[in-house]
Amino acid sequence: MSISADSIAKVLTQPTSGEHARQRVNWTMRIIVGVAAILAILPLIALILFVVLKAAPYLVPSFFFNNPLDTEPGILNAIVGSLQLTGLTVLISGPIGIAGGVYLSEFASPRVVAVGETVIDVMLGVPSIVAGVFAYLILVPVLGFSGWAAVAALSILTVPIMMRSTQEVLRLVPQAIREASLALGVPVWKTALFVSVRTALPGILTGVILAFSRALGETAPLLMTARGTNAENWLDFSTTMNAMPIVIYQYAAAASDLLIGQAWATALILMVIALTINVLVRGRTVNSRTA
Amino acid sequence: MAGLELRRTSGLSADSLFRRITGTGLLVLFIVLIGLVVAFVGYSNPLWTIQSPIDFLTSSTWSAGTIDENGQVANALYGALGAIFGTVATSLIAVLFAAPIGIFAAIFLVEFAPPRLAAPLTFIVELIAAIPSVVFGLWAAGDLSNRLRDTIEWWIASSFGHFIPFLSEDPESPAADSVFRAGFLLAIMILPMVVAVSREFIRSVPISLREGYIGMGATKWEVIRDVILPTARIGLIGGILLALGRAIGETVAVTMVIGNAEGIPSSLFQPGQTVASKIASNIGEASGEIAIGAIAALGLSLFLLTTVISLVVRVLVRRFAVRGGRV
Repeated sequence: MSISADSIAKVLTQPTSGEHARQRVNWTMRIIVGVAAILAILPLIALILFVVLKAAPYLVPSFFFNNPLDTEPGILNAIVGSLQLTGLTVLISGPIGIAGGVYLSEFASPRVVAVGETVIDVMLGVPSIVAGVFAYLILVPVLGFSGWAAVAALSILTVPIMMRSTQEVLRLVPQAIREASLALGVPVWKTALFVSVRTALPGILTGVILAFSRALGETAPLLMTARGTNAENWLDFSTTMNAMPIVIYQYAAAASDLLIGQAWATALILMVIALTINVLVRGRTVNSRTA
Repeated sequence: MAGLELRRTSGLSADSLFRRITGTGLLVLFIVLIGLVVAFVGYSNPLWTIQSPIDFLTSSTWSAGTIDENGQVANALYGALGAIFGTVATSLIAVLFAAPIGIFAAIFLVEFAPPRLAAPLTFIVELIAAIPSVVFGLWAAGDLSNRLRDTIEWWIASSFGHFIPFLSEDPESPAADSVFRAGFLLAIMILPMVVAVSREFIRSVPISLREGYIGMGATKWEVIRDVILPTARIGLIGGILLALGRAIGETVAVTMVIGNAEGIPSSLFQPGQTVASKIASNIGEASGEIAIGAIAALGLSLFLLTTVISLVVRVLVRRFAVRGGRV
């Protein structure tokens, strides 16, 4: 009996029982993996639906314009406080983080880069409560419960975020552009600022905005520093300030349904702000690796 | 990097000034890190005058003691074992759920999902990370926790509770808060991190490896099992460790659902506490340098733990990069 090419092809293409089993496993795993993906997005949908449903009855216009002790309750002082605290945090920590990122990308020797990146990794891993306790131990005894202590605690968390994102986007700037600028006799500092940083500016700003969003939602450090208040506080960082996360945390544990309802409404406002920022920023750069 | 070696001008030129200004940014981060270490070691020091670190790690009694007629603290004992148990239990539960689901979801996003579906799905998963932890806590305290109690928790307790310790629960009167529910909430919160890191490493597996195995007749799943997962293994472990670090440090959401009970709970379905939640709920009452020292010691342990995790991840990822380069 001779072996023809046809018969070989027949043996090779005919499915055996082992082959069927392999295909079955393949399809089963396909389904399992797909189910895992659905499970991964399920919590977000459930959370958003639930927060919206719970918050809706309490979200009246006056909620945005009243303070907690007014006859019609509101969280104006918390919104104002949150924006002030996070705004000042970004104003202070932004220049520090961006400067450090520029240094690591443009000037530092390989050894300094290795040490610097390790320090950033460690600082990125620091839990927010550790930053809060740090400020509580070091600053609160001196400054009292205050906006300043809160800004310091938040800055500990945001500086490494911005330093990392700045360094990463600067790394993407082609070396040839820098060399072209240097070859034209442009000083190193002008090249760094007006060529490298200028090219990477959108990415650097993305990092700043994401750091803002992160600071806006932080709760634990604020409880130990700014502490919350019923009074409205405009720009007086030397005393207690209210913030949306503080309101949510404190009202959630309250016994009255009205206060718990306000916690939901505040959570919805905070969530909408955080999601909007992230959708706007990340929508353009879905594949961005930063932050 | 950018040809700085070209210039060695004397004095404070604009270049070296700029270099110093930007270098200051990095210096500030160094100083903060050193400040953190010094502050936590320094403030926890008074605690070690009345007890040893061994007591801190092995006792589950947390007692401020009494103040005698000389104004001295007597009979104080700060043991963190209960909180350490809670931290270990919640973060392991979180990883137990988040690791398989996260890695499988990442496989789906990279290997199976059509590009039109993969991009928005990835985006949605990443959005979970943008939600503030206090909102997760509120959601869990107001809804999720009860659903878990009546479903997964009830099922585990009734199936395994009578022969596995730590899984028992009285079905008639389940506890209002539990360690398990806090751990499950953490799983949801760290999931986006697991997915994002896994996705990154699965994507970085060279296409030639996949094609080689497909060319030998392997099915898609066999490629994943025999090529992609082993190649990306180190990165996947790094991602899980990173998520573990997040889970260990998470405070507010856990505090809102775990019940903040002292000591080691008799079951995972009973209230407990974690190191982070203990800090949050005890810091207000702590007065005197020994009580503050105990809080600082809790903070120090969290800081050391997360630092070790960050460093291990860094080493792992480097090894992956080196190996990946050779492949």
